[in-house]
Amino acid sequence: MEKQDSNGKFIVPIGPQHPALKEPGHFEFAVEGEIVTGAAVRLGYVHRGIEKGAEARNWTQNIYLLERVCGICSHIHATAYTLGVEKLANVVAPPRAQAIRTLVAELERIHSHLLWLGVAAHEGGFDTLFMFSWRDRETVMDLLEMITGNRVHYSTNILGGVKIDLDDEKITAIRKGLDFLEERTHHYLKVINTDETFLGRTRDVGTMSRQQAEELGAVGPTARASGVPRDLRVEAPYAGYHEFPVRLITATEGDLHARFVVRMNECLDCYRVIREILDRLPGGELATRVPRRIPEGETISRVEAPRGELVYFIKSTGGDKPDRIKVRTPSLCNWGTVTSVAVGHKLADMPMLLAGIDPCFSCNDRMVRVNRPDQSQTWSWENLRQYGIEYYR
Amino acid sequence: MFRGILEGMRQTLRSFFEKPVTIQYPEQKRPVRARFKGRHVLKRYENGLEKCIGCALCAAACPADAIFVEAAENTDERRFSPGERYASTYEINMLRCIYCGFCEDACPTEAIVLGDNYELSFMDRAASIYTKDMLLEPVPAVDKLTPQSTPPGVFTRSVPEMKDPED
Ligand code: SF4
Ligand code: SF4
Repeated sequence: MEKQDSNGKFIVPIGPQHPALKEPGHFEFAVEGEIVTGAAVRLGYVHRGIEKGAEARNWTQNIYLLERVCGICSHIHATAYTLGVEKLANVVAPPRAQAIRTLVAELERIHSHLLWLGVAAHEGGFDTLFMFSWRDRETVMDLLEMITGNRVHYSTNILGGVKIDLDDEKITAIRKGLDFLEERTHHYLKVINTDETFLGRTRDVGTMSRQQAEELGAVGPTARASGVPRDLRVEAPYAGYHEFPVRLITATEGDLHARFVVRMNECLDCYRVIREILDRLPGGELATRVPRRIPEGETISRVEAPRGELVYFIKSTGGDKPDRIKVRTPSLCNWGTVTSVAVGHKLADMPMLLAGIDPCFSCNDRMVRVNRPDQSQTWSWENLRQYGIEYYR
Repeated sequence: MFRGILEGMRQTLRSFFEKPVTIQYPEQKRPVRARFKGRHVLKRYENGLEKCIGCALCAAACPADAIFVEAAENTDERRFSPGERYASTYEINMLRCIYCGFCEDACPTEAIVLGDNYELSFMDRAASIYTKDMLLEPVPAVDKLTPQSTPPGVFTRSVPEMKDPED
C-alpha cells in the first residue's frame, strides 16, 4: 500500500493492537489539527501461511483448511475452492447440493452483515444497536448450528456436493428464524435512516464516488454503495444462483450511510432467496463421486463473499495434492478506498471509516510486500523456518 | 428530541419485562444441537467391545494431523475389539484439532464420533493430548470392560455390516 507523503506532519500511529478493531492492523494517519491529511495501512500481522500449507494437504483436507481462512465467511471459501476443484475434475454437484450450498452461503451473509452492523454501530459509539443486532444474530447462528453442526466453521461442502441434508423440521425452524430476522431488519433500516445521532455520524462521511470506487477496484457492498453494479451472484452466477437469482442492490450516495442501507437491504434479499430455496428445494442426491487425483490443469474460481468478490486460483499437476492455491480476498481490494477516502475527515471518523468496508484482517494477510526501503526485507524459506524454530524454542 | 427520549425509555421498559436472552453460564448450560461437533468420543459396541480397530484411517484423513494411532493384535483371550487388531494407543491433540469432523467421516466402523462436550481447557500443552482412556466411552457394567475373553471364531469381522448411516 502506497505510503502517502507526510513530511513534517504529525503522524498518529494506531495499532497493531488497538482499542477500536478486534484484529491487528497498523494504521498511520498524518493529521493537521483534527483533520487527516494522509493515511497508510500496514498489514500482515496474522499471516498464517495457509496457501503454503494447502500444498501439503490432499484435495479433501484442503476444504477444511481453507474454510479456516476466515472465521466469518468460512463457507464461501470452501465453496470457492470446491467449485474450482469440481471444475478441474469435470464434475458438477447435483442440484440439491448446489441449493444447500447457496442456502448456507446466504445464511452466512446474513450472519456476516448483522455482525458488521453491530461492529460498525459500536465504532460509531452506538452500543445499543450493537447489542441488539448481535442478539438477533444469535438467531441465524443457531440456525447454522442446527443445519451444519457448527456456529462458524460449517464443514458443509465436500468435493462433489454437500455433507448435510435438510428435513421438514429444519425447514420450519429456518422459516421461523427468517420471519423474526426480517422484522428486525426492517426495524434496523428504520433506525439507520431516521436516528439523528446516527445519521450525523454516517451521512456524507467517507463519500466515495462511483468513479473513485471503480478506479480503486472496490468490491462488494462497499462498491455497490457507490453505485457500481458489481455482484458476482448476478454477473456470473455459480452454485444455485442460476435457479435462485438474487437482486442487485446498489445505492448512489457512496457514503457510510449508503453502505448501511445496502447491507441491510441485502439481508432482506437474502431472506427472500432463502425462502425461495426452501420452497423449491430440488430433490435427489447430495453428492457425486470425485476422483482422488484431480486432472492436471489450472482454474480460477470466483464467488461473491459477504464482503465482495473472492477469487481462488487452483493449479493441479494431476496428483492428490494441489500444486498451488492462491486466495484473493475481498478485504484486500477495499483497503485502497479507506486510505484515499480518509483524507479530509476528522480523526474521530477513522474507526467508522475503517469499519465501513467490513475489513477482515486474517482474510487478507497472505503475502504483503511492505514498500518501505529501510525496513523491507526478503526472507527465504530456509531463513523463515530457522527463525520459527528459534522463536518457539 | 423529547419524543426520541420517550421512545427510548419505552424500549427500555419493555425490555425490562422481557425474558432475558442471556443465560447464566456455567450454572446454566445451553444444549447443543444434534450435529454439534465437540470433543471426540470413542464408541463401544453393546457388549463392551471397542468399535475402533486401529486402522488409522482417521489419522490419515485428519487435516490438522491431530490423531496418533498405534495398533496391536487381538487374541481371543485378550480381546479389545472385533477383528484382528485394536488400537493400543489412541491420542488426539485437542490443541491441533480443528473440530472439522473429517475423522468421523473416515472411520469405517463409526468408532470415533464428535460429541457434545465443548468445555475443553488445559493448564499446559501436554494436557491437551487426550489418551484413549479419556476418549473411550464408559462401560455400562464392569463385566463389559475390555480386554475380554471371547469364544474363538465369533468376532472375526472387524467392520460390522451397516445399515444406511443416518445423519
Ligand atoms: S475433528 Fe478434524 S481435526 Fe479434529 S481430529 Fe478429527 S479430523 Fe482431525
Ligand atoms: S477411530 Fe476409526 S478410523 Fe480411527 S483407527 Fe479407529 S477404527 Fe480406524
